[in-house]
Amino acid sequence: MPVSEPVISCRNVWKLFGPSPEAYLRGLEGDPGFEAIRQAGYISAVRDVSLDIARGEMLVIMGLSGSGKSTLVRCLSRLIEITGGTVSVEGQDIGALSEAQLIELRRNKMGMVFQSFGLLPHRTVLENVAFPLEMRGQDRATRRKRALEVIDLVGLGGREDYFPRELSGGQQQRVGIARSLAIEPDIWFLDEPFSALDPLIRREMQDEFLRLQGMLGKTIVFITHDFDEALRLADRIAIMKDGAVEQCDTPDQIVLNPATDYVRKFTEEIEKARVVHASGLARPINGVMPEGLPVAGKSTIRALARQLIDDPREILPVADEAGRVTGVLSRKEALDVLLGGQA
Amino acid sequence: MSESAIPSAPATRLRLSPAWMVLCLALCLILARPYLPEGLMRPAEGLILPLADWINALFTWLRDDLGLIHVTRAFADGIEWLLDVTANILYGKNRWPRIGPLPWIVVALSAGCLGYWLGGLRLALLAGGTFVWIALMGQWKWAMETLSVIVVAAPFSVLLGLVVGVATWRWRPLEAVMNPLLNIAQSLPHFAYMIPVVVFIGVGPKAGAIVTIIFSVPPMIRMTLLGLRKVPPEVIESGKMCGSTAWQLMTRVRIPTARTEILVGVNQVIMQCLAMVVLASFIGMPGLGQKLLQLLQALKIGRSIEIGITIVLLAVALDRCSKAWVALQPVHHEPGLGWVARHRVLSLWAVLMALGFALSAVVPFFAEVGRGQSLSVADPLDAMMSWVIVALDPVTQWLRWFLITWVLIPVRDALLWLPYTAVLALVAAAGLAVGGWRSALICVGFIGYIAITGWWDRAMITIYTVLVAVAVATSFGFPLGIWAARHEARAKRVLLLCDSLQTFPSFIYLIPVIMLFGVNDVAVVGAVVLFAAVPLIRYTIEGLRGVPETVIEAADMSGATRRQSLWHVRLPLALPTIMVGINQSLMFSLFMVIIAAFIGTQDLGQEMQRALSSTDVGKGLVLGFAVAFIGLAADHLIKKMAEGRRRALGL
Amino acid sequence: MTRRLRLIGGAAVLAMAATGALADSEDPIVIPIHNWSSQIVMSHVVGQIFESMGNNVEYVSTDSQSVYESVRLGDVALELEVWEGAFGASFRAALEKGGLHDAGDHNAVTREDWWYPMWTKEACPGLPDWQALNDCAAAFATPETGDAGRFLGGPVDWLKHDQERVDGLGMNFKVVNAGSAAALWAEIGAAEKTKKPIVLFNWTPNFAEAVWPGEFVEFPEWVDGCDKDPAVGPNPDKTYDCGNPANGYLKKAAWDGMKDKWPDAYEVLTQISFTNPQIAEMAKLVDIDEMEPEEAAAHWLEENGDVWKVWIN
Repeated sequence: MPVSEPVISCRNVWKLFGPSPEAYLRGLEGDPGFEAIRQAGYISAVRDVSLDIARGEMLVIMGLSGSGKSTLVRCLSRLIEITGGTVSVEGQDIGALSEAQLIELRRNKMGMVFQSFGLLPHRTVLENVAFPLEMRGQDRATRRKRALEVIDLVGLGGREDYFPRELSGGQQQRVGIARSLAIEPDIWFLDEPFSALDPLIRREMQDEFLRLQGMLGKTIVFITHDFDEALRLADRIAIMKDGAVEQCDTPDQIVLNPATDYVRKFTEEIEKARVVHASGLARPINGVMPEGLPVAGKSTIRALARQLIDDPREILPVADEAGRVTGVLSRKEALDVLLGGQA
Repeated sequence: MSESAIPSAPATRLRLSPAWMVLCLALCLILARPYLPEGLMRPAEGLILPLADWINALFTWLRDDLGLIHVTRAFADGIEWLLDVTANILYGKNRWPRIGPLPWIVVALSAGCLGYWLGGLRLALLAGGTFVWIALMGQWKWAMETLSVIVVAAPFSVLLGLVVGVATWRWRPLEAVMNPLLNIAQSLPHFAYMIPVVVFIGVGPKAGAIVTIIFSVPPMIRMTLLGLRKVPPEVIESGKMCGSTAWQLMTRVRIPTARTEILVGVNQVIMQCLAMVVLASFIGMPGLGQKLLQLLQALKIGRSIEIGITIVLLAVALDRCSKAWVALQPVHHEPGLGWVARHRVLSLWAVLMALGFALSAVVPFFAEVGRGQSLSVADPLDAMMSWVIVALDPVTQWLRWFLITWVLIPVRDALLWLPYTAVLALVAAAGLAVGGWRSALICVGFIGYIAITGWWDRAMITIYTVLVAVAVATSFGFPLGIWAARHEARAKRVLLLCDSLQTFPSFIYLIPVIMLFGVNDVAVVGAVVLFAAVPLIRYTIEGLRGVPETVIEAADMSGATRRQSLWHVRLPLALPTIMVGINQSLMFSLFMVIIAAFIGTQDLGQEMQRALSSTDVGKGLVLGFAVAFIGLAADHLIKKMAEGRRRALGL
Repeated sequence: MTRRLRLIGGAAVLAMAATGALADSEDPIVIPIHNWSSQIVMSHVVGQIFESMGNNVEYVSTDSQSVYESVRLGDVALELEVWEGAFGASFRAALEKGGLHDAGDHNAVTREDWWYPMWTKEACPGLPDWQALNDCAAAFATPETGDAGRFLGGPVDWLKHDQERVDGLGMNFKVVNAGSAAALWAEIGAAEKTKKPIVLFNWTPNFAEAVWPGEFVEFPEWVDGCDKDPAVGPNPDKTYDCGNPANGYLKKAAWDGMKDKWPDAYEVLTQISFTNPQIAEMAKLVDIDEMEPEEAAAHWLEENGDVWKVWIN
């Protein structure tokens, strides 16, 4: 993933709950760990987190409930004030923004989708979607036009006069998505958007989401507790535990090289071949250029299974989408991943 | 009270708990009564504070020196202007805009349309039918006098409650003050509100409207607070993420999302308004209440009952309509419908209006039901009442003799015999048993207040009346509740009866009980019992019917008989709810005892009535607080007990 | 309101205008009404007279004790029935504070005392003599009074000194206080159904005498000082050993500002004077004939033109 100037950058972000968190944090040197902080009477919802999110990147923050992932995303959007550290959006420290500047930022740059949708029950689909535009003070006709566009985009055309309670859960979340897209935000926060939906709908919504992302190419922070979902969607995954980020890397790396035992436990049950891509397993071209047709870097090992077994070459070239060879894949290593040997 | 509270303390501890020790102290005081010095029997002179004088001095200062009376009077004049407008429209009082009165048929049709919009045909019949009944019974003018005040007072109260509620929600420190304030406000007897209003505003409709507003605000504040707190955090966050300012967030996100609670508040305001507007006839509020009072004074029971029925009908119609409004959910229209199709009820209303006005212009009967054209069921009612009084005479005479000789006088004398220190110790023991030192302090504070006001004996008489009434109410209300809870349909019927009994204007019961029992405590208890029984029955039914089906099935499968299932499964699980009923029963009784002063009592109510007729604000408020604190002490103890039970049951 | 009245009213206004008197304010004259019929009808009678003179009138219902505070402050303009016995104290208290004044007496006497409905005589034939009443005290006994007879007094705040009289005259009675006038009527109404003997507080003029014929108990006659000096009256050691005065006043009271604000109406008010039979008649129209107070007033005005027309000229 090409890393240019990060859109969101957070440095040593802390969020503590307790009697006087700022004072306590000032007295801390380094991170004593979740338990030690708890002994002192504080809950560390976010613990010394530093992350950079690049333009157009989809970062999935993954963790079990209570791991601080929802708090973290609220720190990034300043829905809650952080205890320590800085969060910058496009180079600007959002902690230093005035109330009015913050509102301006949200009105123009940010969109957010919520787990339980957060729709206003007394407004129709159209009025819900147009709500952020209304807050911006746009006139009724412009609002209506733009809202109808996004409603069509999420596939709810014709339902614009319905009220939220007249819609199914999946449809309600489409409204939530449409609303968050109405102002054409650059940054898109999604807080467990599909967790409240049943599995079939969830799958469908994920596809829909990928389709939208393919069209729009936003910078995305996506929260989930579902590892499969994270693997399916992410460019990079940040795994959180007790408020701290255990590992932040591409799905391939997380599966292949889990940084901690905690991460390893997550990856154990995963069929790695489905996750790991040829590019993820590839090594740099080391002088020798293997012959023959290259395999596509974005194919999973699983998808290459037949070729890996049939291909006589020990080393296969890997090419990116443009057809350029970017590295080489050891067939044995790939077969190990496929057959569940050591990773 | 304390006896029943003790078992909830951990029984395993053998050493004396503080509750037991204080109870022992109380018993010692009681046993040693003959040898107690006077100061332990009744509060010594020096202990009694001239609270009434202080309050009066404060009010005089506020009113005259600070000139608050000009502010209140100016405000009252504003209210009066609004009242004049509604009065003109509804019953043709000769004031701006001089367009009224509306023909009754128009009002009835409008009510019907409103009912239809809110809840369909049944509600339309109820709402429209109520007004048809009022017109046909010849009560139109009085009912409109009453409504013209409600129409002004209720929106005012809602607005005021909303503003105060939002402010309280916004500023945390205010909440700490507001909560106890609301608790006291909701347990102050109606009359306590009236005296300051008479002093600051005067008498008549505007005073009635203002006392109604003040009385009905507390539930609105509470529901607004509750509603704002219940708005899901994600809805607020989504509002913030849409870039709402604080004001936009409040007006377009929080308040609309709290709609349900706020409308429940509106419903409660309307019901409180109706209750108060009837009682406000004591300070010159015209309308149904005043007419009822006049008819009762003249012993016209039949016609009083007619008015009572009107008030019940109005109450039920307003209640059902406002509840339907709470439940009303927006529904989308199919695209491409015309205006008429999208506004069916509104169009229907417009058509009916035109018809109604035309009809009333042609046939005067539909504009105003003249005298002699109205119906009455008073004669048969009066005849029935006479018959009942004569037929029941032997029974009532015996009951009167029995209750006075064997129940009322002994209980009253016993309570008056108790040293006040022993009562305080008993209260403290009860407090300790259910909620520890904090509860004990709170309850002793409440009851101790009564001691320092110097109204101890009268307060004991009030307490005695309430206790006897609640005991009597329990003796039949509880079994009745159990019986009614057995079948869904039966439960519904009994609950409806409870609703009607409760909305029947309270003082209507006073005259029949006097005719049955004479001027004495039996009549007082009789009047109070009716009110005390209603919440008991209701909560017994709701508690029993609320027991989860699976638990009952489990009991059945364990081979429990119906009796075993009732005693070992359903009643224990329903107990916390039933305790809420007992709590409300006590509160209702306290309110009713004060009103029952019109029969003739020697309790706080009688003094309250005197304070009202001599417009003695200080005395009125001191007495009002005494009544409120008795209620709050009982409320605290019972709530703590219920909480303990609930925790024990893991509910 | 009859058409005739309006005509007269018009004429009256014209006459006033001709004499150049200051016209009355257009603000409504607020007349208080209470919870007994004669007062309500009388208030409407006077109100309709005012209306016939071109004034606006409004009625408010108020407590009969606290009304003097309202008159004093000008919330209501006047009070038509100030009973010496019942309201003398409140009236005098307000008079002392200032703001209202005595607007003359009605040509009526008021009496308040122990009273019984006629059927009581069957159980106690010696009535109305008080000693005869005392002899048959047992007939009035109730569970709450034990062997003694029960006397049902008015509300305590009417301050009637009944208990003092029982003590002063050594009667075998106990006083039980009702909480309101309505409670008294309810007791009579109930007693009537079973013709039970009953003795209670009552007064005249009052609608009750039209509904339930009855008599006052004759106590030793009131002598001045009976309430203060123990030596006065049959019992040398006690006060209140006598009946109440049999001829109390019935006054009108007016707000001080009324004279300036509605001079004509005020003038009429000072002229107004009703007699006992007239007051009883007004009560009867409502209590027996079941008229509404407004109607009863209009009816009375129609029937008694000769009585009231002299007041407005």
